[in-house]
Amino acid sequence: MQKKGNKYGTHRVIEPIGVLPQPANRIDNNMDEIYDNEILIDVQTLNIDSASFTQIEEQAAGDKAKIAEIMLDIVAKQGKHRNPVTGSGGMLLGTVEKIGDALKGKIELKEGDKIATLVSLSLTPLRIDKIKDIRPDIDQVDIDGKAILFESGIYAKIPADMPEGLVLSALDVAGAPAQTAKLVKPGDTVLIIGAGGKSGMLCCYEAKKRAGVTGKVIGLTHSEKSTKRLEELGFCDYVFAADATKPVQIMEKMEALTNGEMADITINNVNIPDTEMTSILATKDTGIVYFFSMATSFTKAALGAEGVGSDVTMIVGNGYTKGHAEITLQILKESEVLRQVFTELYA
Amino acid sequence: MKHGCRYGTHRVIEPAGTLPQPALKLDNSTEIFDNEVLIDVITLNIDSASYTQIKNACGADPERMRSMISSIVRERGKMQNPVTGSGGMLIGKVMAIGPDFPDKKLKVGDKIATLVSLSLTPLNLKRIIHLDPESDQVDVEAQAILFESGIFSVLPEDLPEKLALAVLDVAGAPAQVDRLVQEGDTVCILGGGGKSGVLCCYQAMKNVGPYGKVIVVEYAEQNAARIRDLGLATHVIVADATQVMDVYNKVTEITGPRGCDVTINNVNVPDTEMTSILITKGQGLIYFFSMATSFTKAALGAEGIGKDLKLIVGNGYAKGHADLSLNILRESREIRELFEKLYV
Repeated sequence: MQKKGNKYGTHRVIEPIGVLPQPANRIDNNMDEIYDNEILIDVQTLNIDSASFTQIEEQAAGDKAKIAEIMLDIVAKQGKHRNPVTGSGGMLLGTVEKIGDALKGKIELKEGDKIATLVSLSLTPLRIDKIKDIRPDIDQVDIDGKAILFESGIYAKIPADMPEGLVLSALDVAGAPAQTAKLVKPGDTVLIIGAGGKSGMLCCYEAKKRAGVTGKVIGLTHSEKSTKRLEELGFCDYVFAADATKPVQIMEKMEALTNGEMADITINNVNIPDTEMTSILATKDTGIVYFFSMATSFTKAALGAEGVGSDVTMIVGNGYTKGHAEITLQILKESEVLRQVFTELYA
Repeated sequence: MKHGCRYGTHRVIEPAGTLPQPALKLDNSTEIFDNEVLIDVITLNIDSASYTQIKNACGADPERMRSMISSIVRERGKMQNPVTGSGGMLIGKVMAIGPDFPDKKLKVGDKIATLVSLSLTPLNLKRIIHLDPESDQVDVEAQAILFESGIFSVLPEDLPEKLALAVLDVAGAPAQVDRLVQEGDTVCILGGGGKSGVLCCYQAMKNVGPYGKVIVVEYAEQNAARIRDLGLATHVIVADATQVMDVYNKVTEITGPRGCDVTINNVNVPDTEMTSILITKGQGLIYFFSMATSFTKAALGAEGIGKDLKLIVGNGYAKGHADLSLNILRESREIRELFEKLYV
């Protein structure tokens, strides 16, 4: 008889008591027995969060043996791979080894399925037996080890018809295009800030699909290379390169492009500080700004909108929304050109 | 008359290309552009963080405080504290209105409170008439400019000025509650006993109607008692909002395991994001009014437990917010009496 577990995995928290697995300093990573609502995964690859991997790589001065040592030490101390400096985790790829009795038959998964977990490694119980290979250019580490997925944990089955590397890199940013799909209506004018990056390109595709021929998708990029790439992809009605931290310039450009109407929806994907005002001023005062950038400052957004008397709705990007993995993988199935770009850049 | 930008960028002297708020210096000349309003200022309501900093820097000496305020305005053309970055608001009489100012109901002679920050309002300060180190209201002889995008409220004749100001300061919160809360909803208000919390509770009770629930989570027993006495909630929980599992257990005991439709977070202490997320239903909505909210904690927290809900950044401005909030004082004698006791 398996022990009964909590939906959010609080039964695995060792200290401090009473917190959730993510903020916990140490969680129980004993995999000999699982709770009745857990899924045991035989892990193949860890996709370390890029901020976390960069920090570890710097600390190790690029030495692979040292990187492995740091990673093993993190897991030994915490029972999970939450970088103590950045606080971030990542995701993993593996095969379902065992499903708890309370979940068996109630979920779509079977033992033997290959899945990617879409909750953070910062809250996932993990045991590393051996580090087999480290691929620093794409932040991926192959291991022998096991992990636990809680009942509230989200995952995606790896489709048989797509390379694993491609799937992992797209799922990593799955929240953004899926939220775009939910927000954008036919005829909308949409501004995507940071449109040339991984999540930006997916958002541009999805925005154009939803806005349709009567809508307008505008992509704001940074480098010359990403501008050219986005133009060639052909998803946007208009692409321009500018510094997203300069609100007045971008507001004037948007006025010209939209005949003074401004955007109905602005999606901010750019991971640099001080782009809140740009997002607010580029948007209609009854419009929506969706902040996916982790560099967003809550107070700058809140006080910024009030300061200019804008009644805009500002939403904190939630990396999870129902169906996000399906929507994102569907984009790669639909768009041959985007799949090529992703294979070249990220797989 | 010269044509001005909606957001007042025509008044920015340096650095060029920025908006009035981050600018170091604004043009505070009293000749107006075609979309501006000139105000004869009566009182500056200096933001409390700013006023405390000035008071401490001057050893609470009124003469030194006067000269510090004058020199800030002289240097910057606005009353933006260089240390705290914050401003405040002002009360004054309308002296002139540009022909392109959008609100056509405003008349010369109207007494108004500006609801945009002093940190972006051009101010020409002639003289400080009265300053008391214990009160952040400073009476002055000065002129100020309101931009086309600037929000303001005409001060009502039937309510005392200070009472109106205290309410206008947090007017955004109850106005957003009015938009978000539907009849029959279960609503949780974290930090319901403070100024903004009381107004939110009143509006939530009104919107949910007889079959909805309004649950208040409040840290201080005294504030909780106030909510109970005024009948501003269907359930009151005394708890520390940073204690995730404790609050989750107490709230779901009332709501059942799925939690609330709408959660309004008014708690001005860090680490209440996860509590808000756990007590709210999937597909539900959380409105963060607390300035202590961490963007990343909210974003990663929801993803971490796989919950599809809408997390909204509190916007202090909503169309019609001043009227809605002042009306609460007219409708509820109890709240009016309470606010008169606490804030006037």
